[in-house]
Amino acid sequence: METRSAPEHSCTRERSLPARAGVGFKSAHFSDIEASAPDVGFFEIHAENYMGDGGPPHAQLMRLRRDFPLSIHGVGLSIGGAERLDREHLRRVKFLADRYAPAAFSEHLAWSTQGARFLNDLLPLPYNATTLAHVVAHVDEIQETLGRPILLENPAAYLRFQSSDYSEIDFLREVVRRTDCRLLLDVTNAYVSATNLAFSAEDYINAFPMSYVEEIHLAGYAEDADEIGDPLLIDAHCAPVQDAVWRLYDRALALRGPVATLIEWDNDVPAWPLLLEQAARAARFLDKQRSGFGDNARSEALHDGVG
Amino acid sequence: MSDRKLCAAFAIAGAFATAIALAETAKAAKAEQEKCFGVSLKGKNDCAAGPGTSCAGTSKTDYQGGAWKYVPKGTCTSIVTPKGKGSLEPIAN
Amino acid sequence: MTASADFDQNAFVRALLDPELPAPNGLEARHGIPPERRFAVYRNNVCVGLVDALAERFPVCRQLVGDEFFRAMAQRHMRESLPRTPMLFEYGHDFATFVSSFEPARELPYLSDVARLEYAVGQAYHAENATPLPMDVIRALPFDRLAGATAALHPSTHVVASTYPIVSIWRRHMSDEEMTPLELNHGEEALVVRPELAVNVTALPLGGSAFVHALEDRKTFGQAVIAASGVAADFDLTGCLRELLLAQAFIAVGASR
Repeated sequence: METRSAPEHSCTRERSLPARAGVGFKSAHFSDIEASAPDVGFFEIHAENYMGDGGPPHAQLMRLRRDFPLSIHGVGLSIGGAERLDREHLRRVKFLADRYAPAAFSEHLAWSTQGARFLNDLLPLPYNATTLAHVVAHVDEIQETLGRPILLENPAAYLRFQSSDYSEIDFLREVVRRTDCRLLLDVTNAYVSATNLAFSAEDYINAFPMSYVEEIHLAGYAEDADEIGDPLLIDAHCAPVQDAVWRLYDRALALRGPVATLIEWDNDVPAWPLLLEQAARAARFLDKQRSGFGDNARSEALHDGVG
Repeated sequence: MSDRKLCAAFAIAGAFATAIALAETAKAAKAEQEKCFGVSLKGKNDCAAGPGTSCAGTSKTDYQGGAWKYVPKGTCTSIVTPKGKGSLEPIAN
Repeated sequence: MTASADFDQNAFVRALLDPELPAPNGLEARHGIPPERRFAVYRNNVCVGLVDALAERFPVCRQLVGDEFFRAMAQRHMRESLPRTPMLFEYGHDFATFVSSFEPARELPYLSDVARLEYAVGQAYHAENATPLPMDVIRALPFDRLAGATAALHPSTHVVASTYPIVSIWRRHMSDEEMTPLELNHGEEALVVRPELAVNVTALPLGGSAFVHALEDRKTFGQAVIAASGVAADFDLTGCLRELLLAQAFIAVGASR
């Protein structure tokens, strides 16, 4: 198979994402981006939407890649499943990564495929020795194929398995130790899981293995309620990032230092300026962290209005 | 070359020459071009993209249970079948 | 002890796809509340996500039957046919077939052909790029030898033949044309091509899809005319070529045999 190098005019492959604010790319925003050359740290795309042979998706991605660092985010490798990886799908991921030379490739601690059926959701797994062996084998195989470490993302949880022997963080630590992969900390997922499963989000962030985190995700959640009226948060990527999540993000940055941060907004996609405004807000947290300001400056960022 | 083949070759040559002339005339006329091209999905090209993947959940609920209780209520009422506009009555499932 | 034998992925999927089933064993939420409402989040994610995907792929079908009918129909389809790959833009490959035998849509016999056309539009959108043959090259072809020549069509080319006016139906929904009553008294054969970045849909003269299929099978123009004439005795070759040229469907015309 012919392996294409990075598109013409692109810089050589960055070794990692810049410690700046980026946004998830939506084709609806393409003309805004092209017209305004925005100051965005990077763009992230879903690998699976760029696996067609040609047409506008690739034309747009080539254009973006020329001017911005790129992060490729997979949703279909089903790393958390018991089945062996879909090699054909992995080959498609490899082809895309070779073609666009992204600064990062990330995937989820979840499963989404059963047999030849793709369920189109990030489904949960128990955390125990058996699932750990599967995840480790899958991460190893992906990293070997891609020739680079991947970033593994913590999921949003709505329930837990009685058969879990590890906490999520211990499980992630163990995957990192055995595969030398890196982590993508989704702060919204941490908050959503903590609320839904009644644990402390702050404790989760404090315990997270920050030295392996190479990217942070932020998104707005939706609020629902369970049988007894307790909040049931849904990771819907459908709103501005809520204040509670900004506060957790601030805590994570204090522990990690400035790191690439993505605003994800996938449902009810907003007008480009609103998305850009969310990224600008994340950038202010990053700047304040970078310049080593103290708590006053951070609390200023926290009190910036949303939207 | 048999006479029949020769005749076909002649017909195809003629059709091509005429088609090129017609196509070029059509292209020259913008309005005509639109008509011939059909709609080039002006501003609606994204529709052709179809669905993308998501790593987000949804707060929408959508569960349709056992019995079928829906009737088409869309633009199909503007399409006239030989039997009329269609009864659009619920059909036992 | 590895308790993972308790985690039966198949049972999880069965419960995910069948809301009549209880949540799978071995799940818990917090302080003893039942896991049903939480498990339903995953059910909704799968169901709503895939129904949304079909709604995006088949926007004209959705308008034809209305949102409520479409979503209920799409949900039926989703429960018997899940995506085969994580490339969601391929989902809906067998939706038209499903619609054609879907009893409640029997009153709308054109619906499944419109679905086939919409799927073809999506395939054209994501198809491989290729450069259409420029008009000056076409003009310089040796016309008298074309009967024995073959052609390569743009990889995005699709044809959908119907006994209903599917191009007219599709077009009035994709443009702002007024929804005047449309008679179902003739068939149309749709030509779908994406020469550059925009997908074009147009109607070929009857027999045109047989003509295109023959060329795609590397038959000569002469053989393609015979194939098309088999479908429509008065096949309009000139009109068909005109549409193919306007759509920029040719990327190469082979040498005479």
